[in-house]
Amino acid sequence: MTSIQMPQLGETIVEGTILKWLKHEGDAVVRDEALFEISTDKVDTEVPSPVAGTVTKILVDEGATVPVGTIVMEVAEEGAPAVAAAPVAPAPAGAAAADAPPAPAAEPVGVVVASSIPAPAAPVSQPAHVAASVPDRGPRSQILSPLVRRLAREHSLDLGQIAGTGTGGRITKNDVLAVIASGGTTAAPAVVTATAPDLGTAEPAAPPAAAAQPIQLGVGDEAVPMTHIRRAIAEHMLASTQATARAWTLVEVNVDHLVRLRERVKDDFERKHGVKLTYLPMVVRATVDALQAFPDVNARLDGENIVRHRLVNMGIAVSYDAGLIVPVIKGVDGMNTVGVARAIADLAARARAHQLTPDEVQGATFTITNPGPYGSVASVPIINQPNVGILSFDAIVKRAVVVDDAIAIRSMVNISMSWDHRVIDGELATRFLARVRQNLETWDFAEDLGL
Amino acid sequence: MPRAAWLLRPPGPVPYDAANAAMHRLAERRLAGEIPDTLILLEHPPVFTAGRRAKDDELLWDPASVQARGGIVRKIDRGGSFTFHGPGQLVGYPIIDLGTTPDAGGYLRRLEDVVIGACAELGVSVDRRAEVQTGVWHGDDKVCAIGVRLLRARVTLHGFALNCDTDLSWFAGIVACGLPDRGVTSLSELTGRAIRVEAVRPSVERAFASRFDVAFEDAPDEIVEAFTVAADVA
Repeated sequence: MTSIQMPQLGETIVEGTILKWLKHEGDAVVRDEALFEISTDKVDTEVPSPVAGTVTKILVDEGATVPVGTIVMEVAEEGAPAVAAAPVAPAPAGAAAADAPPAPAAEPVGVVVASSIPAPAAPVSQPAHVAASVPDRGPRSQILSPLVRRLAREHSLDLGQIAGTGTGGRITKNDVLAVIASGGTTAAPAVVTATAPDLGTAEPAAPPAAAAQPIQLGVGDEAVPMTHIRRAIAEHMLASTQATARAWTLVEVNVDHLVRLRERVKDDFERKHGVKLTYLPMVVRATVDALQAFPDVNARLDGENIVRHRLVNMGIAVSYDAGLIVPVIKGVDGMNTVGVARAIADLAARARAHQLTPDEVQGATFTITNPGPYGSVASVPIINQPNVGILSFDAIVKRAVVVDDAIAIRSMVNISMSWDHRVIDGELATRFLARVRQNLETWDFAEDLGL
Repeated sequence: MPRAAWLLRPPGPVPYDAANAAMHRLAERRLAGEIPDTLILLEHPPVFTAGRRAKDDELLWDPASVQARGGIVRKIDRGGSFTFHGPGQLVGYPIIDLGTTPDAGGYLRRLEDVVIGACAELGVSVDRRAEVQTGVWHGDDKVCAIGVRLLRARVTLHGFALNCDTDLSWFAGIVACGLPDRGVTSLSELTGRAIRVEAVRPSVERAFASRFDVAFEDAPDEIVEAFTVAADVA
């Protein structure tokens, strides 16, 4: 018996409507013959039979809307016993794994990451945690004086094997001295074998595992296996530093009028457009203009050719629980500040909800990172290959600056770019950044906010 | 490396029924693996098409007045509601094999990307409004309708319709896309200058090739002819 499900037609489509049963109970079907028609928002299709056989049961009424994965029909396979190999429905509900994007390491672009990879295993669920073999003595057992730590280290003692007599089971100096006095050493192995994390079927050909080798852990160390997203980031970053000739340039930008503008209109903007007004969309707009003025920055190196991209697809670095992801605003050169703000809000929200499609993290022609909210005033980012540059927009801070030979307080920001010296030189990089600065200092964004 | 794909540009306004039948045949051949992914770009004579979600009362004109204006009405097998095709509108029918685990939602977003990118080349700022409906918008006005069907849950049919210098008065005949409180617009209306289909087509081709990572080659003549031969009328 083969159960036919409402097929998964993409991550954003969660339900479908049975438009019409093309086969009815008792009908014979051949493989790939259409069984029923479904309709989802804007996409209709007919669902083919994965097997040849006879329709034995229809479980849902015509016109009913059911969630993806719901069993809607049963087909008895032709002449096959019930134990026949599992049928392949067009897209079983559990197909998330098959939806996973290609191996990050093989991705040509983007700091890859994938929405559909199952949420990374929480570190605590993984072995390779030396404390796991130690009796639980409660939270206070981790509070150790420096003296205790030093004594234990000097005598190669495993604190995990020492019984604490202090408050809440805390290991005191005397506990350690007692062990030393008894001439004892703790039996604990300082070496544990890290077990490879269970990466699930979505895991692309993993780099052969360092995981199988024993790792050296000192006292109090803890080994947490890398998630595959972490590993993808690591590989991508390392590959970029090895492949590019990275240089870095920084300009200071007076954003006093932008700060005042935002204060004035942010509430109206959010009411009207449904997203918060941040500075990032303005920086994106200013950068897009500079990319159009200096097309060598909106480019990639392909062998001995510099490929200039006429369109701008802006990668925006977004941090989320699993690490870093760079969703891409496609066609950002056709958007105003409102459109950019919406696109950023949408992509960031879906990135954090693990709902981006592989297509949405590919194809950036330039990248912006925005560590400012965490307080950094200058960052040296790693280029998101194969881009030529990555622009960092750091924290806006009030500073004393010289204006017309007087000292004034202004809201200032450092905007910098890591750029690939193989493709462009310092003069171009500096003129590019100067253009970004000039745009931010002179554009009246008020007209671009749809208010 | 981009994959090779066919590009079909049948000339002149192509009668709807002929194009619809030829498109379905190409999709069957794509499903059978006989032909590569294909993009058909064309214009239709005036036709209202009703998708599977269209309601009868969303056609606001009676059949006689549609006919009097030189138009026809067709119920078809794509998703979505009513729309209009006619001269001045660039219609794109991609025939793409999405594979055994199709991401239809992602496919719609890519079609939007193609149109947004092409419009950007022409200096027209348009946007998606995913919270409203699939398609490409300028504010509350839709400039490009998108409606798709998958053949056997994997090969795409139908596609997008981008208003270049379409006579928008036709849209008074329907509740376009089932959204009574939204408008339609065209690139010409948005820019205040006449933007013809011929001026838009190259940008759409480039944007499509880029977003779908394909390299176009012209389809064989006999394939193109199928779109224009009267005998093909279904």
